[in-house]
Amino acid sequence: MKYLLTNLLKTIPVLFLVTLIVFLLVRVTGDPVSLMLPENATFEEKESLREALGFNEPLYKQYFTYLGDLVQGNFGESLRYNTDAFSLVLERLPATIELAIASMVIAILISVPLGIWSAIRRNSFIDLFITGGSVLGKAMPNFWLGIMLILFFSVQMGIFPVSGRGGLLHLVLPAIALGTGIAAEMTRLIRSSMLEILGQDFVRTARSKGLKEAIVINTHAFRNALIPVVTIMALQTSTLIGGTLITETVFAWPGMGQLLIQAVNLRDMAVVQAATFLIAVFVIVSNLLADLVYRLLDPRIKYD
Amino acid sequence: MRKIYLFLFLALVLAIAGCSSGDDTEETGGSVESGDSKELIIANGQDIISFDIHDHNNTSTEAVHVNMFNYLVKNDGEGGFTSDLAESWENIDDTTWSFKLKEGVKFHNGDELTAEDVKFTLERVANDDTLREYGNYKQIEEVQVKSDYEFDIITENPEPILLNRLSRIGSGILPKDYIEAEGWDVFLDNPVGTGPYKLKEWKKDDRLVLEPFEDYFGDAAKWEEVVFRSIPEDSTRVSELLTGGVDIAVNIPPTDFERIESTDDVSIETSDSQRVMLLILRTQGDYATADPLVREAIDLAIDKQAIVDSLLEGTATVTRTRVTPGNGGANEDLYGQTLYDPERAKELLAEAGYEDGVTIKISAPNGRYIKDKETVELIATMLAEVGITAELEFLEWSAFSTKRSDKSFDDVHFIAFGNSMFDASNALISLTKEESVGETDYDNPQTDKLITDAIQNMDLEERTKQFQEAQELIAEDRPHIYLYQVEGIYGVNERLNFEPRLDEMFYVDDITLN
Repeated sequence: MKYLLTNLLKTIPVLFLVTLIVFLLVRVTGDPVSLMLPENATFEEKESLREALGFNEPLYKQYFTYLGDLVQGNFGESLRYNTDAFSLVLERLPATIELAIASMVIAILISVPLGIWSAIRRNSFIDLFITGGSVLGKAMPNFWLGIMLILFFSVQMGIFPVSGRGGLLHLVLPAIALGTGIAAEMTRLIRSSMLEILGQDFVRTARSKGLKEAIVINTHAFRNALIPVVTIMALQTSTLIGGTLITETVFAWPGMGQLLIQAVNLRDMAVVQAATFLIAVFVIVSNLLADLVYRLLDPRIKYD
Repeated sequence: MRKIYLFLFLALVLAIAGCSSGDDTEETGGSVESGDSKELIIANGQDIISFDIHDHNNTSTEAVHVNMFNYLVKNDGEGGFTSDLAESWENIDDTTWSFKLKEGVKFHNGDELTAEDVKFTLERVANDDTLREYGNYKQIEEVQVKSDYEFDIITENPEPILLNRLSRIGSGILPKDYIEAEGWDVFLDNPVGTGPYKLKEWKKDDRLVLEPFEDYFGDAAKWEEVVFRSIPEDSTRVSELLTGGVDIAVNIPPTDFERIESTDDVSIETSDSQRVMLLILRTQGDYATADPLVREAIDLAIDKQAIVDSLLEGTATVTRTRVTPGNGGANEDLYGQTLYDPERAKELLAEAGYEDGVTIKISAPNGRYIKDKETVELIATMLAEVGITAELEFLEWSAFSTKRSDKSFDDVHFIAFGNSMFDASNALISLTKEESVGETDYDNPQTDKLITDAIQNMDLEERTKQFQEAQELIAEDRPHIYLYQVEGIYGVNERLNFEPRLDEMFYVDDITLN
């Protein structure tokens, strides 16, 4: 419990830094006013809009105003939608979480059997095939894979809808596009982790006791091989979020990723800040959770 | 461990079962022959910006709004102005316009339209300088209500294009009582207009659904449901079109033309647009382009037709003016024309003292317009052939706009301009002496006088002549080098009769089933 608390406290400076970096990045890379007004707007029109939006204040002042509001839970207003930025992001969260969970499920469904299989059949043709495939899966950019999946399964075969969010059918292709890279990473990890465990004494003991191979693999080896997998799953959360940005755009999936990309394009500062803040919280929390689960799985691990 | 597997297996089975049982979504099955369903689905590249019709300047947003809100008059381009909410109108004197409204027009919430609504709407955008359309309405001084159905619009100065202003973005008439009673936030969530369709549902960045408004004052709505989907990725939008997921898809990249034309039941429709691609040049200071000979050499060195043919599959028209046909004050002698003479360009450079070549810098956005980067690279190659070395700078759009509003470009920058005002004034005002400071620094007293006079000239015939003459001078002086007018390119399901409009609006009731 103490461990959890101290770590939660440690996240505060991290979040603080995130807000500062994002705040500055959004401001040095472009000016929303020039994007908001027509190309032929006059200088006075731009100035008066800038003034109205408070962009004429010095940067440090703007930042402190922003921080002050943030502490009160106010992320500011979206320039595009004229509404509260944080509630905009929250509105989109379910769609993104749905996609992220589906991708994780697909990644697990692919990687767990393949990883174990290739470890058991080490150096066989199957093993070569699976390791080769995982390199390929890791190397494929998910926007490219997404477009290919659409071309084959939607345009050619007509099995899945092309884009948008509807029922489960709509979820399949984006989840595959996003889950493939993670599956590839996890397959390799499960394989090497299984190999290590299979060579250890307790597995040999179990085998020599005459236990069935399936039981040895499932109960003894796999359970222990799972520990690093949990870590990698948590670390993949950030990959997953980065991936949803692109995948959501390809599949016109109305989630947080698409919102964030459009907000960046339009320099909708409040939305960019709210979304990145939330993403930072996600990554931090998932890493914390990974530590905890790690401890549950292996009581030998102690934290001070 | 087995339990986990069993669970995952069950999840998979459930997922597959869920898939095969079929969802209630229209895309399922995806056959192109969607038949004569009374549902129209249009795919845009982006969602609408907002329902605050005064606070955006986005054509594709207006394209949706026109089905929910009405203007006082409609601009049919060369067809002139036609009645919409206004039954009649008259120009009383230089600064007064008198209007009479149609009677019995209902808003979606049942309120009746009166002159007070017009006053409320137009005065808001004319007075609030934080609204994005303020600049196009600040010319309106006051709306004087004379009776429930009669009002005068008073302008600050003579305003020959008041009707143009009243028939575009920011002029949809809003319900005064509803907004005053409920507030803007409620209105933005539940917009109310007088149009043939009302909002049924808006899922941001996904879809906006319209349904017919029963009490519409004009012809009854033709579609049972109209869906505007937002699909940012070009290839996804094309795929939706090919599978019948959408009826109309906007902004088809030229590289996909063949794929669409070779598929049954879908085809490409194009239409001239108001967008003209151009180069903006510095005409003063230390820049090489300050020399008119160099500017002319740049113009003559670029084979514009070749760009149109090789990069845009012919979907653009070369032009030497930005005021294209369909706009007030257009100079059609300069439209469809291009000058290309590399030999003469070399001579001009030699005359200017650049026998050994000259270096200029060209800045351009990357990814904003179809083939923007490729176009500028091709231009650089053409310039190199006559001895002009172009240093290229490509910027992401928001960085480009920032630099543009800071007026910090060097010799040349590449951009497209639209013109929702359908008038030469909007296209030429940036070349008056006052407005061109820091951008082109263009200063030709003759052009300046022609433009500033024409802008306030209520004699339409003389006004047109002034604008046409100004365009000729500009084509000679070249503070802007116009390249081509781009076409709007739409992929369309052949079950529809759809003719794209010059203004890029989707008046959905003009779209019919075959």
